[in-house]
Amino acid sequence: MANGEAAAHDGHDHTPTGWRRWLYSTNHKDIGTMYIVLSMVSAVVGGLMSLLFRLELQDPGIQYISDFQFYNVLVTGHGFIMVFFVVMPAMIGGFGNWFVPLMIGAPDMAFPRMNNISFWLLAGALVLLLVAAFTQGGPGTGWTVYPPLSSIDYHPGAGVDLGILSLHLAGASSILGAINLITTILNMRAPGLTMHRMPLFVWSILVTACLLLLAIPVLAGALTMLLTDRNFGTTFFDVAGGGDPVLWQHLFWFFGHPEVYIIILPAFGIISQVVSTFSKKPVFGYLAMAYAMIAIGFIGFIVWAHHMYTIGFDVDTRAYFVSATLVIAVPTGIKIFSWLATMWGGSIDFRTPMLFAMGFIWLFVMGGVTGVALANAGMDIAFHDTYFVVAHFHYVMAIAAIYAMFSGFYYWIGKMSGRQYPRFLARVHFWTFFIGVNVLFMPQHFLGMAGMPRRIPDYPDAYAGWNYVSSIGAYITLTSTALYFYIVWKTLTSGEKVADNQWGEGATTLEWTVASPAPFHTFEDLPDMNVKEAAE
Amino acid sequence: MTKVRSRNSRTAVFLFAIAGGMVGLAFASVPLYQLFCQVTGSGGTPKVASGPPATVSANTITVRFDANVNPALAWTFRPGQKEITVKGGVPVEAVYLARNMSGVATVGTSIFNVTPFKAARYFSKIDCFCFTEQRLVPGEEATLGVQFFVDPEIFTDPNTRDVKTITLSYTFFSAPGDKDSEPAEPAKQARTPGGDKLKS
Repeated sequence: MANGEAAAHDGHDHTPTGWRRWLYSTNHKDIGTMYIVLSMVSAVVGGLMSLLFRLELQDPGIQYISDFQFYNVLVTGHGFIMVFFVVMPAMIGGFGNWFVPLMIGAPDMAFPRMNNISFWLLAGALVLLLVAAFTQGGPGTGWTVYPPLSSIDYHPGAGVDLGILSLHLAGASSILGAINLITTILNMRAPGLTMHRMPLFVWSILVTACLLLLAIPVLAGALTMLLTDRNFGTTFFDVAGGGDPVLWQHLFWFFGHPEVYIIILPAFGIISQVVSTFSKKPVFGYLAMAYAMIAIGFIGFIVWAHHMYTIGFDVDTRAYFVSATLVIAVPTGIKIFSWLATMWGGSIDFRTPMLFAMGFIWLFVMGGVTGVALANAGMDIAFHDTYFVVAHFHYVMAIAAIYAMFSGFYYWIGKMSGRQYPRFLARVHFWTFFIGVNVLFMPQHFLGMAGMPRRIPDYPDAYAGWNYVSSIGAYITLTSTALYFYIVWKTLTSGEKVADNQWGEGATTLEWTVASPAPFHTFEDLPDMNVKEAAE
Repeated sequence: MTKVRSRNSRTAVFLFAIAGGMVGLAFASVPLYQLFCQVTGSGGTPKVASGPPATVSANTITVRFDANVNPALAWTFRPGQKEITVKGGVPVEAVYLARNMSGVATVGTSIFNVTPFKAARYFSKIDCFCFTEQRLVPGEEATLGVQFFVDPEIFTDPNTRDVKTITLSYTFFSAPGDKDSEPAEPAKQARTPGGDKLKS
């Protein structure tokens, strides 16, 4: 990616070479690149896991996976890998590291060495998770790891313990990364670049980092409690000792709900940048967009029990969580309308990043409205733990968030590598992926409404039809993804060189003022941003 | 240190402190959660009272008694009476009978819960065998008493006016860390209704 050809070295040490460049990296671009590579590798692993169980689910009866513990481990691994090792590293570690310093005119992150630790902790966490899957049966608990299934009585092997430790490392990686990003954004903006003139992508990363800082430690505490319950005789979640499994659910979802906003907020930021660039207009309502993200982040902390409607809450408790959850739709809707208003009256350029951004807007709304349905405690009695929930979160995460990642990839790959992606193949990728993921996940709404539970390897014959369709969608998505990796390879090896600003007048943020590929060191002299112009 | 770097360090320390504070809050949630359930009666957690209430009521309510044993504990455990009709505010004594059917002396602890959950805040125990561990030698049968009353406010609260029956449920477990009792099979946790079963 960043080919390290710095335009001016003046007095600096040479760009490191060989393995030291990567293992000891303190460069935000190189670390960003490593995160993106890790994300791509993890996407293959996590995707293959889901392909295996989609193969099994294609027809009723058991065809390939008769070891149901292994089936559950696949489901669990798929969830953890996609959340912690695909989406978060790509958007926060990858695009965040690459473009936050560039967009604020900073030479690097506040703590370059801690940046390095964050990355390699995550790499270690990935290895641990994969080892856990094959250790003494592995963690067949789902990504939610509820006791008592995850307790020592029902998972006596070390798989769950290794999984807990993997999450501890990933959590530490994220907390350190969050501290780095917040400090960078608060303290290292170029002179004249006030908070209210920062690009919206930077705002999205700032809010995301704050959520990480507040939510991940709660997960860490809960994981530690589970670890000691399993191994050191504590009874946090053990009824016999006065504990309560429901406490795990509260702690997990207090982390888990902000986690999904951690996943989607950077996506919102990317979409703002892309829609603005390809409409050749600044985003409509900059302040509303920034404060909507803050509102979403804040409210996201007080809705966690909408994941727990069936545990026996009092009706008034459920009523509160229903209302608070519905409230989040308001700032989210403001963002959707603002993106549309940005496009309205703009000069739209339907390049591939814009296709994915427009796809995001529509598909995120689709996933969002099923979320509104689920927010209702009464409806959720029927929907809880069915494929309706699976369809909902895959629309917002596996479709919308991935669309934002692709949009960011196609938007920024020229800046990162200096090369143009193959335009025709990129459009083929867009359309095949669109068809694939919709064929894959739309039928799951119907399965859920018909009552098909989630996390099962086999099902009654009545569910056969839509399961077959959904599995076909999985194979189409797989083919599209294979095409995507070919596109990546083709771009890096033989794409033609791009201009510093390949997108023209619509691209107004600072990264487009440096060369493509971006030099190893940028903004060693801080740009003067003290000019009177409208906020980005 | 340059100005930016010292500002960065101070910001980082502040942010680390926040992260540390959140870990602390996670662990603080353990006693806080227990306290919350005790104060609000959430999840069927009954109250503990030191003595009878000030008011009584002529209204009556039926209290039924449920008993369960975790399979790892080789005891029988049953209520001494199926149900009692109580007047609001009047303390009543009920008994449970537990017998050790195994060949070793065992210590058991019990957890308890009340349904419907919303009635729990009006159900107060004055004395209960569940407050202490119970040790039974092989073959020993114990009569375990619980003294309780139902707060008369249950009749006037609009949320609970419809409650005619309250069920008090206990589950006995082998005391954690008890070396005497050997589980015959991997200990399976019996789930009583609800999920919030916290010992006082």
